[in-house]
Amino acid sequence: MTGASTGHTAADRTIEGHAILMRGITKRFPGVVALDDVSLDVRPGELRAICGENGAGKSTLMKILSGVYRPDAGTLEIHGQPARFTGTRDAERAGVAIIHQELNLVEDLSVAANVFLGREQRGWAGLIDDATMEAETARLLDMLECRISPGAPAGSLRVGDQQLVEIAKALSLDASILVMDEPTSALTEAESVRLERTIQRLRERGTTILYISHKMEEVFRLADRITVLRDGRHVRTVERAATTPTEITGWMVGREIAGHSFHEPRPRGVKLLEVRGLTLPWPEHPRGYRLADVSLDLHAGEIVGVAGLMGAGRTELLETIFGCSPPTWTGGIRLDGLPVRFTHPREACTAGIAMVTEDRKRLGLFPDLDVAGNVSLCSLDQAKRGGFVSRAREEALVAEPLRDTGVKTPGPHAAITGLSGGNQQKCIIGRWLLTKPRILLLDDPTRGIDVGAKAELYALIDRLCRQGMGVLLTSSELPELLTLSDRIVVLAEGRLTAEFARADATEHRILEAATGRTARPTSVGAAP
Amino acid sequence: MTASPSASSSGFLLRRSEWALLAAIVVAVVLTAIIDANHSYWFQPLASLRDIARSTAMLGMFALGAAVVIIAGGIDLSAGSMIALSTTVCASTMLALAPAGMVGFKPVGGTVVAAGCLASLLAGFLVGTLHAWLITAVRLPPFIATLATLVGLRSLARALATSTTAALLPTKNSQINVYDPMFKFVRDNVWIPVAVFGLLAFVTWLLLTRTVLGRHVHALGGNEQAARLAGIRTDNVKWFAYCYAAMTAALAGLFYVANESVAAPANQARGHELNAIAAAVVGGCSLSGGVGTVPGTVLGTIFLRVVIDAVSKVIKTESEIYEGLIVGVVVVLAVTFSQVGQLAKGGRRLLPGALGLCAIPTLAILAGGVVAMTASPRAGLAAGLAALGLLGALKAWESRQAAAAGTA
Repeated sequence: MTGASTGHTAADRTIEGHAILMRGITKRFPGVVALDDVSLDVRPGELRAICGENGAGKSTLMKILSGVYRPDAGTLEIHGQPARFTGTRDAERAGVAIIHQELNLVEDLSVAANVFLGREQRGWAGLIDDATMEAETARLLDMLECRISPGAPAGSLRVGDQQLVEIAKALSLDASILVMDEPTSALTEAESVRLERTIQRLRERGTTILYISHKMEEVFRLADRITVLRDGRHVRTVERAATTPTEITGWMVGREIAGHSFHEPRPRGVKLLEVRGLTLPWPEHPRGYRLADVSLDLHAGEIVGVAGLMGAGRTELLETIFGCSPPTWTGGIRLDGLPVRFTHPREACTAGIAMVTEDRKRLGLFPDLDVAGNVSLCSLDQAKRGGFVSRAREEALVAEPLRDTGVKTPGPHAAITGLSGGNQQKCIIGRWLLTKPRILLLDDPTRGIDVGAKAELYALIDRLCRQGMGVLLTSSELPELLTLSDRIVVLAEGRLTAEFARADATEHRILEAATGRTARPTSVGAAP
Repeated sequence: MTASPSASSSGFLLRRSEWALLAAIVVAVVLTAIIDANHSYWFQPLASLRDIARSTAMLGMFALGAAVVIIAGGIDLSAGSMIALSTTVCASTMLALAPAGMVGFKPVGGTVVAAGCLASLLAGFLVGTLHAWLITAVRLPPFIATLATLVGLRSLARALATSTTAALLPTKNSQINVYDPMFKFVRDNVWIPVAVFGLLAFVTWLLLTRTVLGRHVHALGGNEQAARLAGIRTDNVKWFAYCYAAMTAALAGLFYVANESVAAPANQARGHELNAIAAAVVGGCSLSGGVGTVPGTVLGTIFLRVVIDAVSKVIKTESEIYEGLIVGVVVVLAVTFSQVGQLAKGGRRLLPGALGLCAIPTLAILAGGVVAMTASPRAGLAAGLAALGLLGALKAWESRQAAAAGTA
């Protein structure tokens, strides 16, 4: 099961036609082009790795292939047949199965019931035939070398086993094309090895596999060819033997840094925040922790960028500082040299910390309140006259942050839901500016925002910092961190793996530190 | 009233949906005045107004509390039982303080009455606190927590009535009579509950639209996680909301005592919590939270009571049998009408597939059956057939539209 034996199987086959043929696939979401004219052809029996940074369009492409999304333009052929999927059921019928990154199990149902959910086997008089389903599930699990009972409730399993149940579910469809979206992200080392053996077995049966992964080691051990996506575009597809991990990483990053940069140095002030040995346990996960031994400093007038892949612990770090993570964390947080331990965001707020949350719709916006209501929410006490909220005072209160952040709105009483994503985000930043914070925590503040609004937000963040605020910034986009940050710290699987001064930071070095386990480029990719 | 936090569909003074509700009330009143064989709205306007005003005021008080909880994103199912507990606590307190007066049908004095009323309101505060504790600390879903108290509080009230009478009177009783002239005075002067309801509505409106707490109630209902992350003490806001609901129910309970001259926890206000929730929903409160106004809730209550009264005028005998049916139909229609715009442009179908096919006879049987029982079997048959025809036509039209959309 080493990479040596796999390289040949598919490459040697010269089967006519394609398992998958995509031409000019384009998919737009409001304000962002997720896929732009992407073409892809996959040979039958091939294992194709798809690589790209967060937001490169990998998952969108796979969701189109598996019928979750419909493309705005372009054509898709499966085994030479034009395919127009209107749902995952259509894709399954055509032999395409997907193993999603997120788990989609019904926790209260048994493993077998989950595997056959929606396709239950019927027995005598149309009653559910549990015995057959459990036997079949047992066979699939056996193939995965997984020793769990098919009758056990899915919720009682460890995360790694749940992932294997997802895989068994895809296998039960007898799919000729299998999409695996970062299948090893929740698996331990031993489970990953087991999964790789299963992949070999599937390949022997001629299954075509699309394999999405950040882990270069895996990619170079398994893939026949590697496709790199960047910013929704296809960069290139190469034979595994003809490239190196360093080259792939280079193509993933590849873009020039967008024009706006703030290279005029900002004066650095006193130390505001000091984090030492921060550890946040994660009992239900094999890793055991969300954050492990993270230390960093933040000074006034400084922007510290926090880089990391999805699930690296960026959000958890900010949440722990802001007092909204489970109170089980250990380690020390000092504010102005004094130890603090916030148990509610209110306390962090009072202490002069503000946090702009990651998922604007879910965690930031109040769709039923108007623009003024959204901005004034944290400081409504300032708009009181005689104990009651005065409309005039509220309008006066929000006028300044709305002007400072440059929100374009028909008026303070317009519906917040009518504003663009960028303007909504400015409203939320304005909300926090009203609390006069000294530390601003920004969790991926420009996600889903168009380029123009991004540039305005960068200028705003730079200006706030020059006024003496300390900013801790996370982003899923490296150019953003490189544009704004004075220093960049890198998280990988909950650990702080590197810290760069702006001058030393490059996308390449950050990405290498963020992918952690890929730090052994010489040992992989060696063709026999 | 334009200062209500949501900017959507606001109109002059009231929102558009609230003007529509007001118009519906007027239409219902006019129709009743015409259809009612006795024309009592025409010949006895004052008596009719008095009836409706009293019932509206009493339902409206705890409908306002229900609205606050619903806007905060919760639900309180226990109001009816809270009312029973309130009547019993009030009467029991007075019985304990002035047993001779209570038994002898003599005035018990202002202090004793005041003590009874305060004890009821305190009971409301305690129940609200219990709800908030169950929901925020024990982490029960609001539906479960208040379902438990819906069942439990009435039982508690009955036990309280029985044990108080057993301890203080020669014979134990399941209810406690209240004959104090102050309660009689309240019963005979409808303007008192109406004034209290009006004042409560004003206070609630002020609270929801003009205070920081009210804004936080809206924020909590609109997006609980975001509210917490914005530094709002969401647990405290919930505590307030559930106390407000329970205390308005306790207040309403005092008027039940006055109106019925008795604390009878076995059946008093049984099921009324659902009328309060219905009034709030008809008035535009969204059960998913964050949306709702006081004017809407007041109009929703009036509408509900006017329609119930209309049916009692039209159907002379045993009209209370139909009260639940009316509330049900009104809620379904009101919420459906609020989605009419969405239905029209979204291409959504009311009668899709096999479910739609089975829904047609279901609705026809329902309509025909009700008409047959209230009017005559012949009219019922006609109504049923008419419903069948209309719905069948709608189904056919929808199928054609869907087919056209499929081929396009």
